[in-house]
Amino acid sequence: MVASPSGERVVSVPTRRGTALRLITGNRQTVLGLCALGVFLLIALLAPVIAPTPVNTGFANGFSAPTAVHPLGLDGGGFDVLSRLVHGAQTSLLVGSIAALVGMVIGGTIGFVAGYVGGRTDGVLMRITDYFLVIPDIPLMIVAAAVFGQSLTNIMIVIGLVYWASTARLIRAQVMSVRQRTFVKRVEAMGASPLFVLTRHVVPQVTPLLVANTVLMVANAIFAETYISFLGLGDPSVVSWGRMIQDALDQGAVVAGAWWVVLPPGLAVTLVVLAATIAGQGMEDTLNPRLKVGHLAVRRFRVRPLHGALDRP
Amino acid sequence: MTPALSRIWFALVTVFVAATINFFLFRVMPGNAVSALRCRACTPQLREALLNRYGLDAPLPEQFVRYLDQLARGDLGISIASGRPVWQEITGPLLNTLPMLIAGTLIALVLGVISGVVSSWRRGTVLDSTTQWTSLAFYAMPTQWIGLLVLFYVAAAIGLPAAGIQSASLGVLGEPSMWDLLVDRTAHLILPALTLGLGSYGQYAIIMRSAMLDTLGEDYILTARAKGLRDWEILRYHAFGNALLPMVTMVALSAGSIVAGAIVVEDVFSYPGIGFAAVDAIGKRDYPVLQGIFLLLTVAVVVANLVADLVYVRIDPRIRSGRVAVG
Amino acid sequence: MDQRSVSAAGGHTRRRILAVLGVLTLLLAGCSKGAGGGGGGGDADNVLTIGTTYYISSLNPFVGIETQDSTAYSMLYPQLLQYGPGLKLEGDWAESWDESPDGRTITFKLRDGQWSDGTPLTAEDAVWTIETIRKHAKGATASMAKVLAGVGSAEAPDPRTLVIRYDQPMGPALANLQQMYVLPKHVWASHDTGEDGSGLTDFKPEQQLPVVSGGPFTITKYEDKGTTVFTPNPKFYGPKPHASAVALTFYTNPTAMIADLKAGRLGFVETVPFKDAAQLKSLQGFTIDSQPGNEVTNFGFNSSDAKKQNRELLDPKLREAFEYTLPREQIVSTVFGGEAKPWADILSGWSGDWVNPKVQPLPNDVDKANQILDSLGYPRGTDGVRQVPATTGEHAQPAHPMRYTVIVPNDTDYDGHLQFTLLQSAFEKVGVQLTEQAGGDGTQAYELITAPDGKYEDADMFTWYWHPYIDPDFNLGVVTTSELGNNSDTGWSNPAYDALYEKQRTTVDPAARRDLVWQAQAEIASARPYVQVVETNLVTANSTGWTGFEPKLFTLGKAYYTSPRRA
Repeated sequence: MVASPSGERVVSVPTRRGTALRLITGNRQTVLGLCALGVFLLIALLAPVIAPTPVNTGFANGFSAPTAVHPLGLDGGGFDVLSRLVHGAQTSLLVGSIAALVGMVIGGTIGFVAGYVGGRTDGVLMRITDYFLVIPDIPLMIVAAAVFGQSLTNIMIVIGLVYWASTARLIRAQVMSVRQRTFVKRVEAMGASPLFVLTRHVVPQVTPLLVANTVLMVANAIFAETYISFLGLGDPSVVSWGRMIQDALDQGAVVAGAWWVVLPPGLAVTLVVLAATIAGQGMEDTLNPRLKVGHLAVRRFRVRPLHGALDRP
Repeated sequence: MTPALSRIWFALVTVFVAATINFFLFRVMPGNAVSALRCRACTPQLREALLNRYGLDAPLPEQFVRYLDQLARGDLGISIASGRPVWQEITGPLLNTLPMLIAGTLIALVLGVISGVVSSWRRGTVLDSTTQWTSLAFYAMPTQWIGLLVLFYVAAAIGLPAAGIQSASLGVLGEPSMWDLLVDRTAHLILPALTLGLGSYGQYAIIMRSAMLDTLGEDYILTARAKGLRDWEILRYHAFGNALLPMVTMVALSAGSIVAGAIVVEDVFSYPGIGFAAVDAIGKRDYPVLQGIFLLLTVAVVVANLVADLVYVRIDPRIRSGRVAVG
Repeated sequence: MDQRSVSAAGGHTRRRILAVLGVLTLLLAGCSKGAGGGGGGGDADNVLTIGTTYYISSLNPFVGIETQDSTAYSMLYPQLLQYGPGLKLEGDWAESWDESPDGRTITFKLRDGQWSDGTPLTAEDAVWTIETIRKHAKGATASMAKVLAGVGSAEAPDPRTLVIRYDQPMGPALANLQQMYVLPKHVWASHDTGEDGSGLTDFKPEQQLPVVSGGPFTITKYEDKGTTVFTPNPKFYGPKPHASAVALTFYTNPTAMIADLKAGRLGFVETVPFKDAAQLKSLQGFTIDSQPGNEVTNFGFNSSDAKKQNRELLDPKLREAFEYTLPREQIVSTVFGGEAKPWADILSGWSGDWVNPKVQPLPNDVDKANQILDSLGYPRGTDGVRQVPATTGEHAQPAHPMRYTVIVPNDTDYDGHLQFTLLQSAFEKVGVQLTEQAGGDGTQAYELITAPDGKYEDADMFTWYWHPYIDPDFNLGVVTTSELGNNSDTGWSNPAYDALYEKQRTTVDPAARRDLVWQAQAEIASARPYVQVVETNLVTANSTGWTGFEPKLFTLGKAYYTSPRRA
């Protein structure tokens, strides 16, 4: 494993058949995480079927403790909490995955171009990336909501737009390091076309890392969605877990002592974020077993991962 | 240019670009500070007069030039909502937020150290897994949810104030004593700080555990044990030292998340800090204050990055100039 | 450096760093927002702490436009008139007054008094205030100019007599004067400088505490988003406060405020969230008081002829059908926890007999609504949504389904989103599909509702609220043509109504004016630019250690702060 010129940690992915399979199954954490995610995905897909009641039907005027009919009780508006939770899974997972995809596409493309082309283009792209790493995310989100309206699509795009930068840096570092490798240089010296080098060598080395990073991004995005709902910028016509947490605060669940409204959505988010995190971490560990520390750094601080500051060989 | 200087230069450029973009960003939003005064007797003339006073009716590029000019003189402008200088509007909330953030970081550090030590000392056992999973779980929880839980279960149980920064009756009939003020302020910042600390201790736990495991595996530890040094001393003198560097780095990086943590926690606990001030200024379209706050935050993040970078480069000789084989 | 000494040094350094950080925290905690000046002596037990979610934005009456600002001003400054218990206009500084038969002159006999700094309080202060407001009515004093609408001149024949002459008889004259705060000439006159009096709006009384006051209190400490302290002014001409001081504390959200109430840290809470009322009533230590309030929520239509799409919404008959669809009772119980009642008038019950008793809410009758919509020629489509046939002529529209957007602002003290979901289900039953559009805060919502740029072209409907004044003039005026682009959120414009409004405005005889006011309300009720939804209750809480509260006098009279006393 080598350090890229700017010091991001990079990995060496042996190009073997079955890398994809190994990525998914090679690590117990990954398997556990992906299974948990799969369960939630299933719940989300089956939401209309398994929700005990229609989501927009009120059953009472306010909070109501759990009963057999309403296993998680009713919230401040008289809506069934379990139904909202299950439908919320749809929204949260949808937002999470698409936002992560948007981030991956933007970040991956920019990182790729910067790393591959190098030179001036790299410089300019990295300056732009730096800005996005540094800007406080809140104003971007609030302005976007105010200007473009608060719809689900906009939210997904906004999250991707705000969080793509760390992916870009990571991919760029990886691309650059791959191009530096001796055997790639040899292949190029032998006259292979850039396209050949690209598809046979660069892409296979970069893709697994991109995948791992995207899974981690899903965790980020779901987290960010709760944040957006918290600011009141979410789509008002859909239920999401972030919305449920915010409703708990707004509807005075604390004052009313309605724990059945407060606990479920937060637990759900925690579990999904956990699952995605350990899955992504597991994948990164598969790619480089020596990378033990520093995964958590990817999320909270949208700043450059330091020169292997958190790597301890 | 040495690497250090070039980083400083890039940092300055980033700040400038950020400040510029922030200027234009808020003005894209519908409505301005004066446009929708639903006040009892507002007239179109009043609105025009106010727009003129605040220079909001000038074309945008002209406003921008005026802004840059003021900035160069160190003047952040005047708040539209209150008429006071922007720096005055900002320092108050900032001084409210900082102790809470520091306390929160301290709590996170303490929890992280305990968690890391426990899980590495009893590596491979159930205690190890439990501790690790717990710290990861807290890290995965939305901060406002942690705040709600703290409000729910801790506030009433312990009898700590759940909101605000100062008790309503303090200082009403006379200047409160320094001690009373201190006690009251501290009581009010405990719950928000606890929320922040719980939500972020996970990263310190991981660093601590890793540092501990590395240290415990070193040869000289065996020697130390053989010499009769007790576990506790090994911990203090060796493991902590190895964890110091990444911990300090992480704390520096935490500065970058002032906004996220502050806004969330301050809303849940009604804490009048910088996050709250930012959200408030957005609602009022108070552009000068908004620009000031976000300039401040951008600078804070950039400086934190820079400091972490430079400190790290200096302390660890192995990665000077960034050219090193890691692993 | 070998490993060991690095680690050892690291350990020591680490502890030092922690120690320094710890001390810093404590120091900063003490430094943050230092306490303000102290007030007069008095029993600490006798301090009334009030919790509120409304803050005081400025101590300058020409600048402040927030609700809580009015409370502060009425506590600081003499008003000729104020509202007393029972919401009756009574004299504050004025002992008595006389109206000339033609309604154009009012003579006030004023009480003897002093400003808090000892300077005599005389009619000259009133004359100066009135003349200054009129002088800069298009500039610095524009926000107060409306209360002097119709005033021609003011004189002080002697220090305790004030004569105000009107150019034309003004029906709401006395009610308007209640909103005028008499300022101390000897403090303010020197600030009357700059272009159109701009020095007056630049002046910040909060930087010169304690404020020179003529009311029952002065302010010794001011924090807009914190605690503001009112201490009694011993030179006040009226009834002295029972409390030794009033500390008004602002809370960003009601949950925090209720938490402090429960912990016994507050004496009075100004606005208890509607849905918490029932649950709090059963707790010990404080009493919850709930009475009809003056918040009227509405369901508004873009009623402007400039509206581009969905012009069928301009039809009052269609809006009548929509009123039959409105599930008011359900909204009362679900959104307001029962702390409201169905309402139809643009004024609140506080306006007493200004309220036209014949204006009543239509019952929730889905069949009737469907009947009307059928008769208007809007058949149901295959998906259950009604279709509007194409129209021809000047504002021709293609055929389209009845799908409308409702703007829901988030600056309400009730759950607007919850109310919308109830509306949505209700309107589904009559074949109308509603979509929610987040309105954002008040500023943004207004922009969206009057979009684009105050031309009223885009919006369909919105849900919002007013806190109507007691005197009907302002709120009846909101729907006039002259308020387009200003206070009018519906864009409704009707010249006949405008004329009626002017007439009631210049009618002094209460009985005659009342008839005109009733007529105006009936017109609004039948044209339905708004459909009023509910009138909410005023829900306040006070600790059992205190009594004598007058919750309704919030911003309306000095008794609000002066009458509460220890139980």
